[in-house]
Amino acid sequence: MSKEAKTSIAILVAGLLLIALYWFAPEKTAQKKQASITVEEKIILPKNAPEVYQDIPEVQSYKKDIREMVNRGEAVLPLQGRELDDGAQKTQEILLKDQEFLKDTMQDGQILHNDMMRILPAIVSALDADAKQVCQPHACYQAEKYNFVTNVTTRAIVDVRNARVLSVQRYQNMQPDISLRLARIARAIALNAPEVKQELGAKPSVTDVSMANVRGALQESPCENSAHLCVAPVFADHSRERALWAIVDLTELKLVAAKWTRLGKTTTPARISERSLQNRYIMENYCQKNTILERNGWKLSYRLTGSDGLEVIDVSYQGKPVLTSAKIVDWHVSYQQEGAGQLDTTTETYMEGRRVEFVQVGDGSYFFGYNDAMGCPMFSTSVVLPFNAPQIRKLDNGFVLMQDYRNPKWPMACNYRYENRFEFYDDGSFRVAGVNIGRGCGDNALYRPVMRIDMALGDREKFYTYEGEWKQWKQERMGRTKDASLHEESKYLYKIASATDSRRGYYIEPNKGQPHDESRGDNARIFATRFKPEEGDQDLLTLGSCCDLENDGVERYLEDNESIDGENIVLWYVPRVQNDAREGHEYCWADTAIDASGNLVVKEWPCVVGPKFVPIK
Amino acid sequence: MRKYAPIFASLMLLAIVVAVAVYQKNKAVAPTDGEEKSAGLGVFSSSADCTRLPQFLGRLKIPQPVLIDLSQKRFTGIALHYGQNYEETLHPEVWGKYEHFGTYALNEQGDIYLSPTPFISVRPTTFDLQKNIYKLDSKTGALSVFMRFDDVHPSASNPYGVISLAYDCEDQTLWVSAIDETDYQSAKGVIYHIAPDAKKILQSVQGFDALTILPLRTGKGKFLLAGSARDNALYAIAITAGVLSSPPRKLLELPATNERIRKIRITGNNQLELQAISFSYTLLAQSTSRDRTYYDATWDATSSEWKMEKRE
Repeated sequence: MSKEAKTSIAILVAGLLLIALYWFAPEKTAQKKQASITVEEKIILPKNAPEVYQDIPEVQSYKKDIREMVNRGEAVLPLQGRELDDGAQKTQEILLKDQEFLKDTMQDGQILHNDMMRILPAIVSALDADAKQVCQPHACYQAEKYNFVTNVTTRAIVDVRNARVLSVQRYQNMQPDISLRLARIARAIALNAPEVKQELGAKPSVTDVSMANVRGALQESPCENSAHLCVAPVFADHSRERALWAIVDLTELKLVAAKWTRLGKTTTPARISERSLQNRYIMENYCQKNTILERNGWKLSYRLTGSDGLEVIDVSYQGKPVLTSAKIVDWHVSYQQEGAGQLDTTTETYMEGRRVEFVQVGDGSYFFGYNDAMGCPMFSTSVVLPFNAPQIRKLDNGFVLMQDYRNPKWPMACNYRYENRFEFYDDGSFRVAGVNIGRGCGDNALYRPVMRIDMALGDREKFYTYEGEWKQWKQERMGRTKDASLHEESKYLYKIASATDSRRGYYIEPNKGQPHDESRGDNARIFATRFKPEEGDQDLLTLGSCCDLENDGVERYLEDNESIDGENIVLWYVPRVQNDAREGHEYCWADTAIDASGNLVVKEWPCVVGPKFVPIK
Repeated sequence: MRKYAPIFASLMLLAIVVAVAVYQKNKAVAPTDGEEKSAGLGVFSSSADCTRLPQFLGRLKIPQPVLIDLSQKRFTGIALHYGQNYEETLHPEVWGKYEHFGTYALNEQGDIYLSPTPFISVRPTTFDLQKNIYKLDSKTGALSVFMRFDDVHPSASNPYGVISLAYDCEDQTLWVSAIDETDYQSAKGVIYHIAPDAKKILQSVQGFDALTILPLRTGKGKFLLAGSARDNALYAIAITAGVLSSPPRKLLELPATNERIRKIRITGNNQLELQAISFSYTLLAQSTSRDRTYYDATWDATSSEWKMEKRE
């Protein structure tokens, strides 16, 4: 064998060995690819109020047309002429006078906003046998309208030559393909969304966006749990092989979420939903890690817990520690009813998915209700889930960090909405607040948020109540804000201070209605307990009874009656607030109404409870 | 130059092999967002059911048909409905003692195996109850813990444990799935193959979160169909000689991103009924009467694709 032949064999063997090594190392390559995909699949949730879209000319013109339509006593916004051929024009005229087609456009004498979405020649193969017979020789048209209030699509088949409506079918909770006008509006909202501009680096032009809205069949909408009409315009970035999908809610005319994805034929809007994007975004950014916030001299971390809502931790002001942790661990919800004697508790009762607890009281009445835990949207034991991510808003003299929690069907009956709020002021004071926005199962609900506040005033702290002078609590105990008649400076009922430096501490100002938010006071119970890790330092599942008004759940931590003199103290603050549904006096309540444009609007009457902490000067 | 021809030839050959290898490998690891064509599953039909209803129904003179109710809406645990419009109900109080059940499977004797589920509220006993499968005895109607899985550990960050089970008429075994160890980052669910007579685990495979499972014999072999708890897809795992022998392969996706397949039924030749729910490893309770979506999935052998239709 020649030298060259031997060399060629050696090259071949070595080369094949290297190829074999390359072939059998697939994981690394796959992981690299996966990593790049993860980076590309960035989720963006809106940070701006929906009002930013109201000045868009397309939105203004559309809303004006709807208002004028309702003022004329009409309920269906017709398609504009350029979307229609002659047959479609005639179809529209026939349907806008057809009682059956228009049957669902009124509710209690009020006009409901409907849009005609599209009218096109009927596909004969999709018709039933009777319609087929008529439509074979004649020209038939198929029309679809959408009711924005009831989330119902109506489809009609019209024999145009004989001016006859052959069939009208309604599809509950289904959304149709949208009109060209709505497609333009969706594009305009996406183009003007500050979040989209920020992601793309500049204001995109109309040629940058394609409208790959759902075409062909009735589809489930990608937002508001398919209760709204939504579409997903897409901005393609071919140079980086990626695309930004923007989910636009056409019921509320706003951007609800956006997501970067790889460019690819399999990545369609049908795979994107507001809920799944929110869940992923919240899990990855607020449930899996802490977020640090520095503003106005304050520095803090915050996170969403599994069942204790939004928690702020390691809070300091101008470099000095203030709070170790603050959170709302539970909302007890109870309703009082007469007729305890007739109460049948042999089988369990569930109300809109919650197990109902019953507690009889002496006067023949009973309380029933349940505990609502707020927590992460996935992998948790919560039933009231975060809606959008934590928000930071400016106050006149500070800022507020808040998280909205809702049941999916709020404000329908037995669905709830809560907000966790932490207000931080420029003078070093702060407020831990809970907000209820109804609606609950009735107009006699009593809400009790259980707040856990662990101050960071050193390892040794002292707690006082004001009774004309400050009196220290030496042992773990409970007090009631409504029992107090005397307040320091007419405001402060309690104070907590460092055991080693009495000037380092905070006055506690219960809410008696003074925060100018129309609140009716906290009527709270306050508990001071000695810190123990197992007493709420980690997530608490549920704490106590929903309906035993003598038991807020914290009482179990008082059983040992331990000393809190110079100890690490945890404060538990449990306001109790009664809702009110009387017209003109609504409180902790929400309701829906049809507005002047025939659209559904939610009216909110929030109640805000929680103490303010003011630095001792 | 001719003497170098073998070297040039080997270099060219290597270049071709490298090109083919690079192409094939990249093709193999390319992530697929879309559903893969499920060629290979083969045609199937609704085979004869080996199971029967509990024998105590005859003793109690309860006429068939009987509806097994695990909805937990009116009755905790298991309830049986019968009579005209299923208006009559059999639900002894003791059938609620292990709290809530999510799925059931009958066997040839009429025993009902039940898997637990946490439902709405967590009580002190809830997590512990998720470690068991339960049996409603065909002859006596007694409800008891049938088997306990000590390696199942539900927690506040994932309250689920044993979540689904199915009876295999071919070899009289049980397939059981648990999803307790799984977390947001990775699927750590376990599928167990159980010999009920010996109460013995024959096989356990970790790495897939199955919200529902169903053994299926097709023209191309035997498979375990599994509805994923993590995505809106139906998967198939090959079963060879009674052993799970392949990674899960995606068959189809539901049209809605948030839905998960909770129950699979074979309803005809190449036809499945898929029942879907919202699921995110939380105690999310149903807050509407419409809490389950039904799909008919039909395998079209001609076009080699699944046809999906949502039931109104």
